[in-house]
Amino acid sequence: MAVIDARGLTKVFRQPDKKPGWAGSFKHVVSRTYQEKVAVDGIDLHIEPGEAVAYVGPNGAGKSTTVKLLCGILVPSAGEVRIDGLVPHEQRAAVARRIGVLFGQRTQLWWDLTVADSLATLREIYSVPETLYRSRLERFDEVLGLGDILPVTGRKLSLGQRVRADLAAALLHRPSVLYLDEPTIGLDVAVKERVRTFLRSLGDEGITVMLTSHDLQDIEDVCRRLVIIDAGRIIFDGDLAALKDEFAKDRVLRLETAGPIESAELAALLPTCEVTAGEHPRAVTVRFDRFTTAAGQIVSAVGTLAELTDFQVEEPSIEDVIRRVYAGELLAGAGADSDTAESDTAEPVTAGDVA
Amino acid sequence: MSALVAAPQTGAVTPVGLRARSRPYRAIARATLRSVLAFRLQFALSLLSVLFQLVAMLTVWHALLSARSIPGFTWPQMEAYLLVGFSSGTLVSTMSDFRVSYRIRTGQVALDLVKPVDYQSARLAETAGSLVTELASICFVWAVMLAFGLRIALPPTPYLALFAVSFALIALLKFSVIYLTGLLCFWTKNYVGLQWCRLAVTSVLSGAVVPLSLLPHWLGTTAQWLPFAGMSSTPGLILIGDATGWYAVRLVAVQLAWAIALWLIARLAWRGALRQLTIHGG
Amino acid sequence: MSTGTDISTDAPDPTGTGGGAFGSEDWANANANANANVDGDSAGDPYGRGHSPLRILRLYFRFLGTHFRGAMEYRADFWIMMVAAVLTQAVSVVVLTAIFRLIPELKDWTFWPIVIMFGMVTLGEGVGSLCFEGMWRVAWLINQGELDYMLVRPYPVLLQVTSSEIGLNGLGNITTGAAMLVLGILHSSIHWTVATVVVGLILLVSGVTVKVAISLATNSASFWVASPSPLFAMAVHQAGELTRYPLTLFPSPLRVTLTVAVPFAFIGFFPTDFLTGSHALWIALVTPAVAGYCLLMAVLIFRRGMLRYESTGS
Repeated sequence: MAVIDARGLTKVFRQPDKKPGWAGSFKHVVSRTYQEKVAVDGIDLHIEPGEAVAYVGPNGAGKSTTVKLLCGILVPSAGEVRIDGLVPHEQRAAVARRIGVLFGQRTQLWWDLTVADSLATLREIYSVPETLYRSRLERFDEVLGLGDILPVTGRKLSLGQRVRADLAAALLHRPSVLYLDEPTIGLDVAVKERVRTFLRSLGDEGITVMLTSHDLQDIEDVCRRLVIIDAGRIIFDGDLAALKDEFAKDRVLRLETAGPIESAELAALLPTCEVTAGEHPRAVTVRFDRFTTAAGQIVSAVGTLAELTDFQVEEPSIEDVIRRVYAGELLAGAGADSDTAESDTAEPVTAGDVA
Repeated sequence: MSALVAAPQTGAVTPVGLRARSRPYRAIARATLRSVLAFRLQFALSLLSVLFQLVAMLTVWHALLSARSIPGFTWPQMEAYLLVGFSSGTLVSTMSDFRVSYRIRTGQVALDLVKPVDYQSARLAETAGSLVTELASICFVWAVMLAFGLRIALPPTPYLALFAVSFALIALLKFSVIYLTGLLCFWTKNYVGLQWCRLAVTSVLSGAVVPLSLLPHWLGTTAQWLPFAGMSSTPGLILIGDATGWYAVRLVAVQLAWAIALWLIARLAWRGALRQLTIHGG
Repeated sequence: MSTGTDISTDAPDPTGTGGGAFGSEDWANANANANANVDGDSAGDPYGRGHSPLRILRLYFRFLGTHFRGAMEYRADFWIMMVAAVLTQAVSVVVLTAIFRLIPELKDWTFWPIVIMFGMVTLGEGVGSLCFEGMWRVAWLINQGELDYMLVRPYPVLLQVTSSEIGLNGLGNITTGAAMLVLGILHSSIHWTVATVVVGLILLVSGVTVKVAISLATNSASFWVASPSPLFAMAVHQAGELTRYPLTLFPSPLRVTLTVAVPFAFIGFFPTDFLTGSHALWIALVTPAVAGYCLLMAVLIFRRGMLRYESTGS
């Protein structure tokens, strides 16, 4: 049974139409007009326990709004959502015990309390038994280095420390679902790596992770499933690896040789590849479909023409794929849903419907 | 046309001439005015707060003066005096206090420090920006009071001029006091408590709620020589005609002396605060 | 124990051997038990009353205590707040004394009964600051988006808000307020009977409740008018300060407003009037009713505000 189950989830915001200046203020008092903004437009989302889902979209696409709807922070305008069978905005306490949240730009720790005090307070709120509390803190210390930041006051935490402490805070009560909204924003590389490793391990324990992030490396490292939202609608929902296999098939090999190499000659040897001349006569670039050609073949081919001195491999990037999806280039319908395990995934729309 | 001079070695431009040199400060003042106007509702509400205090004082004193008369303070005089007190309360009010402490608490002060303007003068320029709206609301309240029957016997012209000077000095004095209290934020981080202390002390010693001559003798006489008297009592007394001749001149002289002294003390305190900030990280 | 500075050299935890975040916890059972014990009948429980009322209260004091301990760490700040509170009250007494040096009574009110009124108003403010200071942060919480985290915790949001800060000046106000009350009572010749004492206590508690309720209701205005600071609440608070003085001084429109619209008069004026003079029965009956009504309205307004927050996402 899906732990996160959203059907036709919609959120419409009414913004009062206010013109600037004194005239505008008076007019506003007398006759109000409203502008409607559809932030989330009938999305269907079904996430099973233990899944790690990346929720991606351009700014203003409705990512944060969706997360808030799934937490019960916002009440839906239409449609329904259930977390573990419960309705968030109706059964707040019950859902609260099952979810953990991390909003990247804000901390849930108390500004004037030490991290230890904040966690102790949260422990009381979530009624975590003493023994479990202690063992969990120990675990967090092993995996996140929590021990050193326990005595630090909330407002004195560095960004990296804050995120680690917030992670502990979000998971202290062992929720079934963890929502992360831009968790690694502003973090340095070392801390990002640590956080990603930690998040990866959660899936093994049956904790569902839903991650929104602009850092696509986060997504590649942590999540197996990708959901792309744009203008309030889900335009892709499927397996990340399958998406890459389908649309990010190209690898690029940049080669440097001892003596000059003629790209036309190499092209003749590698009919399935795209060969272009490099920056100078001793360099050549080969773009190839990694499923049809092996890198080794290319190296051998080059070897017959000149001595290979150096090479660089460029892997397919999920960023490119997603950018192309945003741009409406990819008809996600054809390739993706044949690879997904979900039978009732949202049907991605075709390119023509995407804004 | 813009009076900028390029330094020969570095090529950095230095503004020359008062108009050019004051440009950044004028820009700050304008920006503050714009932001104050953007928060019209906020301003209206903070004005309302001070108005309630005025109503309270007017009511109490009216009842008091109906019961007995006090030499030097007829009801019309008292009304005018309390209005000056209210005006003083409105000048350099809420916005500046919040701004000073917020900047320091959130560390934004670091941004202010790297700007090529004198910190203290920049803060004064900000105050000047919000002064426009404050003065507008003061005029509005005076107008309403006059419509409701307030009668002021204006003092003769020389004293009116003296009053104008004295009134103008209120802003400068208040600024320095608030600025100095704000600097304490570098040490304590708790501005709200300091602000309340300042407000409490000022409200009594400035004579805004009770004329200094009606306070217990020791308190009243001491208060005359403190900077706070210049924030309400001095201009008030001159306006209602209770301060005349050399007495009035003396009062304004003390007011001016304090205005200068506090500005200079603030500069010294600033250097101390800067040391605190750079050594302890604020 | 890992060292904070060496994060990059720490090897990631090995998985598959119970390594991970929760290791070898029997998480399925642990969680199920925890949820079962406290969920109770949380259906239709929008504001998280999953805990028992006693536990909610206990937790509330715990939160206040934690903030208090945190605040006590800054000795200077603590004393500044205390001094500020005492100084502010002292100033109002100085003003009152100056006034009464000139006249024996203000519209039939002598000095000490007014001191009693001061005491009651100050006490109300003190309790509000000490125990419910957080409500003054509603404007700020909305502005910074901190309410979101409160909405995903299993504890009533209103109580999370009010306990989110402790006002140390409240201690100062409670002490000075109590002092004013006691001194005022000692110097006013009040004829004490058991009934008077009981009613007096009820009126005191009611008065404090009215003050807290009005503050909560006016601070909830921030749900409708965005602002980083609670100016509306502060303006109304200033209006309430008028009721330190006998209500009879003020023109009728103001008197009616302060009795009916925002019943500040029931904090100090009517209770003092009862004790020092009229012993009017209606005051003894109406004041607690007003207190209950104000509290109810305040909570409803707050809830309505939360509903608005949830639909507009402010």
